[in-house]
Amino acid sequence: MKTIDCRGQACPAPVIATKKALEESDTSLCVLVDDGAPRENVGRFARNRGYQVVEAAAEDGWTLQITGSAATEGTDQNNSRSSVSGDRVLLITSDHLGEGPQELGYLLMKNFIFTLLETPQQPARILFLNSGVLLATEGAETVEALKQLEDRGVELLACGVCLDYFKKKEQLAVGQVTNMFSTAEHLLTASSVIKL
Amino acid sequence: MGQQVVSEGQYLAVFNSTHRVLKAEGLLKNSGLPIMLIPAPRAVQADCGLAIRFDEDHLNVIIALLTEQNLLPAFLCQFTNNTYVTIREYQHENH
Repeated sequence: MKTIDCRGQACPAPVIATKKALEESDTSLCVLVDDGAPRENVGRFARNRGYQVVEAAAEDGWTLQITGSAATEGTDQNNSRSSVSGDRVLLITSDHLGEGPQELGYLLMKNFIFTLLETPQQPARILFLNSGVLLATEGAETVEALKQLEDRGVELLACGVCLDYFKKKEQLAVGQVTNMFSTAEHLLTASSVIKL
Repeated sequence: MGQQVVSEGQYLAVFNSTHRVLKAEGLLKNSGLPIMLIPAPRAVQADCGLAIRFDEDHLNVIIALLTEQNLLPAFLCQFTNNTYVTIREYQHENH
């Protein structure tokens, strides 16, 4: 089994290296990563592509044993998590909805997120970019509703660069940190994307 | 399924004016009251569809503040036994 060492690399480098290594031939791969976002992102990336991932703590990081077949690629839309609503993705790029007074826009965004709890169909995942990440951080009134959505199987992914920009990386209250690589993949493989 | 947006026993002050509900929200929050402005549930019909949610503990102080500032809602209801029961309607202009 081929081994790649991604320790010490910042996201999205480990995901890109993993993708490249898997594309080059192997149906199995061993990836060494740092704990935290790199470990989570590489694991998620592989699982989303239909691979099995076994994680084990190693010296100075984690070992991810990735096995399976690239032929299963594309099963993303059929896996249990995505089947929530046929891989419908919500892209939220602002903490307010629409153009106009900030106060009204914020109210509308909050209302929209709470209303999702009452709609029969829910997105498979919600991607938060730019000031949209603030909706998932400590103190935001939307956290309560987002936690309920997460409990129902909606995957919540917040842009790490954006959290860092707003100095809110440690204050993410719900969902997971993600990178642009993963964001782009989710957008390009979604059956539909709704941008707010 | 997770819990509901409105829990058993909680109250909703339902407004029909966006400006009015925003003013009321600001007033109550500035007074340190734990309230949340939410979309009015489907079962509760409201023109602008906004409601302020709060616990019973704060009912009296909230109604007193809203009365004092002339910001009473269109009506007040309580979520009990999985139903929204209207407690009181307020007759005034500009809900």
